[in-house]
This record gives sequence, structure tokens and C-alpha cells, in this order.
Amino acid sequence: MIITVALLLLTPCSMEAAAEPIHFENDILPILGRHGCNSSGCHGKAEGQGGFKLSVLGSDPEADLAAIIKEGRGRRVVPSAPDESLLLRKASGRVAHGGGVKLQAGAEDYATVRSWINAGAPMGSPDAPKVVSIRVVPESGVMAPGAGQTLKVMARFSDNREKDVTRHARFQSNAEAVAAVDATGLVRTLETPGEAAVMAGYLGEVAVFRVMVPRPGKVAAGAVPFLNEIDRLVDAKLARLNIAPSGLCGDSEFLRRVHIDLCGVLPTPAAARKFLADTRPDKRVRLVDELLQRPEHADLWAMRWADLLRVDREALGHQQASLYHGWIRSAVAGNMPLDRFAKSIVASDGPPTEVGPANFLKVLSKPGDAASAVSQVFLGVRITCAECHHHPFDKWRQSDYHGMAAHFTASAVSHPRTRKVVHPHPLGAEMPTERPKEEPRVLLAEWMATPGNPYFSRNLANRIWAWMTGRGIVEPVDDFRATNPPVNPELLDFLALRLEESRFDARSLIRLVAASRVYQASAAPNETNKLDERNFSRSYLRRPEAEVTLDIICQALGVGEKFQGSPLAERATQVWDSKARHEFLKKFGRPSRVTACECERTKDPSVAQVLSLLNSSLVHDKLSHDGGTVARLAEASGNDARLVEDLYMVFLSRQPTPAESASGRDYLSGRGRSRRAAAEDLAWALLNSGEFLFNH
Amino acid sequence: MRRFCDGLNRRDGLRAGVAGLFGSAIGLPGVLRAADQSRSKRDVSLIFVFLHGGQSQLDTFDLKPDAPAEFRGEFKPMSTRVPGLQICERLPKMAGCADRYSLIRSFRHHNSDHGPADHYMLTGYFPAAGFNPSLSPNNTRPSAGAVVSRMLGGAGAVPAYVALPKMHPSGGSAFLGANHAPFVIEADPSAPNFNVPDLLPPVAVSGDRLGDRRRLLETIDNFQRNGEAAANAHAGAAGAFRQRAFGLMTSPKAKAAFDIHSEPAKVRDEYGRNTLGQSCLMARRLVEAGVRCVTIDHSNWDTHDENFKVLRETLLPAFDSAMSALFKDLADRGLLDSTIVVASGEFGRTPRINKNAGRDHWGPAFTVLLGGGGIKGGVVVGKTNERAERPVSDPVGPEDLYATMFSLMGIDPKAEVHMPDGRPAAIVNNGKVISELT
Repeated sequence: MIITVALLLLTPCSMEAAAEPIHFENDILPILGRHGCNSSGCHGKAEGQGGFKLSVLGSDPEADLAAIIKEGRGRRVVPSAPDESLLLRKASGRVAHGGGVKLQAGAEDYATVRSWINAGAPMGSPDAPKVVSIRVVPESGVMAPGAGQTLKVMARFSDNREKDVTRHARFQSNAEAVAAVDATGLVRTLETPGEAAVMAGYLGEVAVFRVMVPRPGKVAAGAVPFLNEIDRLVDAKLARLNIAPSGLCGDSEFLRRVHIDLCGVLPTPAAARKFLADTRPDKRVRLVDELLQRPEHADLWAMRWADLLRVDREALGHQQASLYHGWIRSAVAGNMPLDRFAKSIVASDGPPTEVGPANFLKVLSKPGDAASAVSQVFLGVRITCAECHHHPFDKWRQSDYHGMAAHFTASAVSHPRTRKVVHPHPLGAEMPTERPKEEPRVLLAEWMATPGNPYFSRNLANRIWAWMTGRGIVEPVDDFRATNPPVNPELLDFLALRLEESRFDARSLIRLVAASRVYQASAAPNETNKLDERNFSRSYLRRPEAEVTLDIICQALGVGEKFQGSPLAERATQVWDSKARHEFLKKFGRPSRVTACECERTKDPSVAQVLSLLNSSLVHDKLSHDGGTVARLAEASGNDARLVEDLYMVFLSRQPTPAESASGRDYLSGRGRSRRAAAEDLAWALLNSGEFLFNH
Repeated sequence: MRRFCDGLNRRDGLRAGVAGLFGSAIGLPGVLRAADQSRSKRDVSLIFVFLHGGQSQLDTFDLKPDAPAEFRGEFKPMSTRVPGLQICERLPKMAGCADRYSLIRSFRHHNSDHGPADHYMLTGYFPAAGFNPSLSPNNTRPSAGAVVSRMLGGAGAVPAYVALPKMHPSGGSAFLGANHAPFVIEADPSAPNFNVPDLLPPVAVSGDRLGDRRRLLETIDNFQRNGEAAANAHAGAAGAFRQRAFGLMTSPKAKAAFDIHSEPAKVRDEYGRNTLGQSCLMARRLVEAGVRCVTIDHSNWDTHDENFKVLRETLLPAFDSAMSALFKDLADRGLLDSTIVVASGEFGRTPRINKNAGRDHWGPAFTVLLGGGGIKGGVVVGKTNERAERPVSDPVGPEDLYATMFSLMGIDPKAEVHMPDGRPAAIVNNGKVISELT
């Protein structure tokens, strides 16, 4: 409300200064908010609804008052005959209203609006206390399945008074399967154990009630190993949820998992046999160290950064995009500290034709776009909403958005509503009284990497965690906000702190995560954790990126792929051009890199993807290729048992179980097909199995 | 060798269709009669024929014979089956069935660029800021088919939403996600060797081998059996999609629907042996099998040069045969009442003829054709001025078209869906149902 207060104090106000019993912002806007009138789906949307536009959630009281009293040919409020006001006739359904009946004639809210109109529809005193914050009572709770809890919302005003505003608050749960909330603030837990954050909103303020529903029943104290601090933090949370974690995975599962997560490749059968035979107790840690040195690691993680950093040929041209990608890849290969990496991009200096990282701001040439992208990529915060209005689920105001934008332009930036100049200032920071002398982007980069910065290190730790485990501690990874809390704040804080302490050494954090039992857990669910997909109680199945899926298919089948415009690329993760035509990659969700959002890369499955894996010529040509894996093994593997084993080692990096070996041998000899044709069938089935297609 | 009750292996049949052996004798109508039983009469489908590039209103359905020569062009109006309704003389078959469809001559919007106007017409929403037309999909809002898929779901083995002979870049599902993205038939149904890509394995994998492979896969796939797939949403969905994929591959109904080669030669001729004609025929087959929305992306109506020659020689004859055959065929099969057919470009074309005997982009006035699905026939909504430059009555926009289409399909145009970030999104942006048509 700071902006509003400032505005009211500075704008010569024609309204009566005398204290009115009913205040537009404090008394009328909450009613409009409570009934959804100014929601983004109704009159709050950019184009309004039915010719009547309100600011989203009442963020612009002056404009809302003007819309009500001045527009609509003055019919919206009729002080001499309040019941004839279109505002009340529509809201009460006396004339057709697309939004239905919102205010029952005679009910309290109707009476309040009526009295306000009767009093001449005033703005109210500019000196009236304003809401500065809200809180939910209680703030958190542990509830049984099928239980209820009534929430109370208290608003604190600028005169330090508190008032119960529950009746005009709006509520929303982020996990309706765990806990649903109704319009009165009654939270009801369902049968699914887990956690939910229930948001309460009042005017532009938000607060959260966190509820945990532990799994009912007993947990047998299992003997799961404890490898490092990560395990203690995860297990503490699981204990509160009454969930037992899955145990440690086997060597072949770990071997395959870490190859795909860190390098986007399968272990070769030779490497797999060597690793499985290795008896040194620290062999898993050693393997991680080896993989981090491999060029495939730089290819894969550079590709992930290139998605976020918008390496886009169409926007940059071939040469610059290639230069930019080359810089990112060498930064990853050299394990450039992440603060330096970010600073090189945010505070880049020099022509984008020569300086790779300068191309980020070349793609994002508009200050607002740059501000949004930097916030999302490096801080994990989405501020785009606040370009036009107060963020509906967070604290960000237009002044925060334009304060970020001001870093990326030499021109003066003004607040779109108040027209006051906004000097560059980072998210949540105080605005300086004048534009700093130094380059503001340098200041921004330095602010991000300051120890204790609440966003930068947490965001990076969360992304690295998600790139390894398939899921963020905050999810979506680039949507940190009060109403989307981390599932394990202690874990996130710990990882962020370790990242800061290591001076932003990405690989040391990767090693730390990979060394935990949490990362090395089995993917097999147990009775207590089979419903948990959030708290890292087991290894979650994750579909590798489109490029990695293609690469492991090519690797397993022993036949490579050619990539348009990248004659030297042997694997799809090396292709820097996200626009290079490739049907398979497109179908499997490769992003075009037109946003800085991790969500642009879709990992949703589809029927077309499945058909492509089952039937496409891409798969079948490689499967039946004379120089491919299947032809080679059908020729070289001495007997059927050996052939089955070799195929399992190629696709799944493990030995077949005796039953799998028997059914494989049975298939090879029992269908009257040539050995090679039968081996193709077996390879095809392995390739289409969940165990191949999902990392686990 | 597994065989079906008619003694023919379906795969062989589908392949044989290429060679013309899978004639009408195979009993396709029987297969489709079975389909009819799973299709309630209330289920209305949509066939959206997108005339990509922009169809000239002055040379098709809104002729202005009294306008000066530099506007009216070289085609003359002809009378139709509907008294008082005249359309272009180059659309004689459409004139003969004008009682089956209606025309909105006062259609208009504010944009005359291909990318945004395409998105506007294919989604009902003008694209949001940051729209990049060169992406595919480029949707900032879900396309008609994605909304239909989301609101009505699929019926049986066939997908809810199919795009052919390719997906228009604005045909995507935006925030509705992969589940409501179109099943794209990336192939031209008029090609002699037409096949739905990836629907079938290569010829070498014959029917019994496919069956063996499927059983082998089921044996091998531990995750589906042991609970990993059930405990992981994406893996579970992938498993469900695999069932659907096998359903598509092995369902006689789905296979028959995609097998355009089994259509009698006479019918194929009536639709016209070209991309538009055979796409319309394919659309009818798909709707008959339970597909909820088929979008046909037909190019190229962008007649900046030699507008009249191109229309006269290729576009209008193809359009005339395809659309008239579609209306007739749907009516003959009792499907017209449950199938909405819409034909429209992203905009119309400039009334003044340019120096290349062409017409350029024109959003301010054009004609949209609609029929079937409960839409009255022979109605003309609105009219344009003497040069077809702008509506002089009853202006109608994309929002109204979407409100009308959805409401006829039993979808509440005021319904809201939620974006992944929780924001509500109305499926129609405030349109009004065009009451003259319903």
C-alpha cells in the first residue's frame, strides 16, 4: 500500500477530507474482492468485462472509483436512489449479470455498498489508516485426514490496529487433494496425506496457512542408511509425515541414474561391468567425480542453461547464437563459479558479436523483458504480473517490477500509475533516492551474490537439485513465493548455504547431492511412500529431456543421428540450435527458447510420442540397421542367454533376472523367426519399457 | 496369424487399401455403424476448415457486381437454392446446396497480419503480448480443438482432436497441456500412398509379430507391474498413453477411420482428388468414428498475385467440390445435425484490386461459412457496404464465432479453465451467441 499512500498524499484531492464512515478502499474494495468482481477472470482482466473494468484485486483504487462513478454514463451509482444504481442492480441480479448474483439485496455487503452510494460514493479520507499486512490464524497446523479447521484473517492497519477481515478474505489451496478450503475459510483435509499451503488474500496482501496431514498408521523403523546431512533433513520431514523412505538403490540403478542425470548418456556395457565388479566402498563417489569431468556433462548442463538463457538462432542469428552457446558451454566445462557466471550475463559489457554472454540482453532488449527474465532465471521469482498490477499471489508491486526494469535501461523509468520516476533497485530492496552513479547492472549482480541474499543461492541450489532429482524443493523451480513454499525449507536453506560457502561451486553441490542416500534411494515405492511425489522419500521416475531420450536411443541401438545445421554434432545435447528441424525432438518437447521459463520444456507424455517410439522409422531403421547394436550382438553373442544378457546390459545397464533371462531365451528361440529378427523384437520391447524411457 | 471376423487381417487390409483392394465390400459401413452406437446423438463434433492465407469475400460469398471494376473483380454472382441468396458463379455446387449452410457476411476483426489474425481465428483470442508467430505451436491460448478436447474429452480409441494434413502453428493446446494437443496427421490424404505416420510399424513387423512384441513388452515392463508407474504421475500417464496408442493401432474402428483408401472411388472423386477434398473426406470419416474436432489447415489462399486466375483454376473448384461433398455426405449419413462445419480464413482480402491483379490482407470485413450441428441453413447474417469494405450491420467477431460453436456443442461459453499458475481463463473471451443462426 506504500504506493497508494504516497499517491494519496501527493495528489491534490478534491474529495472531502472529513472522515467518512465508509471508506472506498477499506470498505468497498474488500467487498468487490471477496465476491470475485475484480478477479483476473472477470472485471479485473485487462479488457474488463461487459465494458466495466476494475483493477486486479483493487490495486488501483482511484481508477476503480473513477470506473464506478464516472464511466457507464453515470448509471453505475445513483446517490439519490441507491437501489437504482446499476452496480447494485447487476450485482444483486435484478438486471441480467453474466457473473450471476453476487450481493443479495438486503444482506450486509449489499447494505454497505448501498450506504456508501447513498453517501455520494466518496473515496473517503486520505488520512484513513491503510492495511499494511495480514496474517492467518493459525499459521500452520497438523491435521488428521477428514478434519476441519476454520481460519481467521487479521489485517493490520497503518495505525497498528488489527481487525478481523475473514469475511472479506479470499482463500485458495495449492493442493486440493490434500486440503480444500471454502469461501468462508474453512479448511477440510481429505484422505490424501501430505501438505498444503492455503493462501488467504485481502486487498493486495497475502498470507499462508500451512497444513500437514501425516499418513495415518504405523511406520516400521526401517534400516535406511544415513550418508550425509541431506538425509537427516529429508528424513526429519518424512518422520513428521509418518512416511518411511525407500532404501538405497543397487549399483546398476545408481550407475545408470547418474550417467543420465549428469551426462545424458547411458553407461556402456563395458563400463557397467567394470563398475559392478568394483568392490571399493567409495566407488559411487568416484564415479560422480569422473562423470563431472566428461565433455558430455558440459554438453547436457550447457543445454539446460541455454534453454533458460535464450540461445535462440532466430533472435540472434547463427554466428552470435553459436558464440553465446560456446561461452555457456565453456563456462560449464570450466565449472565457472555461478556468481561469476550470472554477473557475466547480467552485467555483460561489450558488443554481442564478440562477447558471448552479452547476447542475453540482446535477446531481451526491452528493459521489462530483461527484468522478468533475470528475476525468473537467477532469482526464481516471477514478477511479470507486477508489470500491470500487484502480483495476486505474492508481495510484488508495480514499483518492484519497474525498479528491476530500470537496471536495464539508461532512460528514466516511471511508475505507470503514479508517473513518478522509479530508480533501479533489486527485488524487495529499498529504492534509492537517486539513480546510482555506478552501472546499475553491476550493482544488481553484486547484490544477487551477496551472502544471505534470499533468492539467488536458493534458486540455484533448487535448480541443481531439480536437475538431479527431477523435482525442485520449490516446484515449479522458478516460482518462489510465499504462497508456493518449499516442501523442505531446512533442506533448501542448507543447500543454499553450502553453495554460498563453496563460493558458488556448482560441482561441489552436485557431489554433495549425489553422495546422499536421498539421491541414491531406490525407485521402488513402499507402502508408506507410494503416494508421495514431493518429499523425496524415494527416487522419482523422470523422463529425460527430448535430446537425451533421442541420444540414449541412438546410443543403445548403435546408430547415430544427423542434425540439420550441426554437421559435427554426434548427440542431440550438442546441438545448440533449438530451431534446427527435428520431428522427434519437437514431439518430445524440446523448447524453442522463447521464454526464460523452465516450463517451456515440456515433459508431458503424449500418444504421438508413444506411437513414435513404437512405430517410427527413426526407431525401426536404427533397430534393423546392419551396423547397429542388434545386428552386431545377434552375430557376436555366443548363445541365447548371452544375447539376452547383452541386450539387458545395453538398454538397462543390468543383468536380467533369471526369470527375465528365461523368457528372453524362450522368445529368441520359440517364435520361428531369425535370431536377428527375434533380437530386434526383444530390443524393441526393452526400448519401449518404462525402465528404459524413464530415469529412475 | 490373428485374423478378424471378416477373415482379413486388419493390417493387411490397411496396406492393401493402398493397392485398392480394400474396397467398400470390406464392410466399413458395418464397422462405422458400430461406431454410431457409441456416439450419442447429443454429441456434436466440429470440422474447422481453415482457409490459410485468407479467402477473398468479394470473389466467393459477398459479391458486389455494382461496385467499380477495380473492386468487383471478374466473377459474376449466381443464384442459389435459397431464394434471394447469390454467391460466386465459380461455386456452382455450393449454390446447389446453399440451404445446408449459412453465411456471416459481417464478420470482422481489427488485424490484418497472418500470425496474430490466424491465432485470433483459431483460438477466439487475439494473441497475448510476446506472441511469436514463427513458433509452432505458438498458442498463447488453446485452439478450438484443444478446448473441445478439454471440455468434452475423447470417445473411444480415436483421439478427441485431430489436425490434418498438418497442424497450423496456432492449433496447439497452450496451457491445457499435452493431453489436449492435437493428434497430427502429418500427411496429405490425397497422396496415393497416404498413411498416418507412425500409426503402424514398418511392413516387416506383420500382425502376429506386432502381437508378439506387445506381449513381450508387457512381460518386460516391470515398472507397469511393480508399482513404479502407479507411484509416478508421468510414468503412469505414459502407460495410459501406450494403451491408447495400442488402441489406435489395433482398434478396427480407428484403423478403418484412418483408411481413406477404403472409401469408394466415386465418393473420393466427389470430394475432389486434391488435398482439400481428401482432407474433408478424412474429416468426415474421423467425425464418424468419434473424433470431436478436426481442423484442416488448407493453404494457400494468400492471393496477392493473380487472385482471379488462382481462384478460378485451383482454389474455387477444389473448395466447391470439397465443401459441397462434405455437406452432402454428412447429410446422407445423418451426421449433419451433429457436426458443425466452419470454413474461414484468418481474414478477407482488400476490396481494391492491386497492381498484380491480386488482393491483399483485409481484416475489416469477410465472410465466414457455417453449417450443420443445429445451425440453420440459408441464413445470411449482416451485410457489408457497397464495396465489401466493412459491415454495415450486425458486426460479428471471433469471440462470437467461438461462443456460437461451443454453445452448439453443449459447452458453456462462459466456462473457465485454470492455467497452471492458477489463473482462471475463460474459454471464450466474452462472445455472444449469434442468435440468427441457432
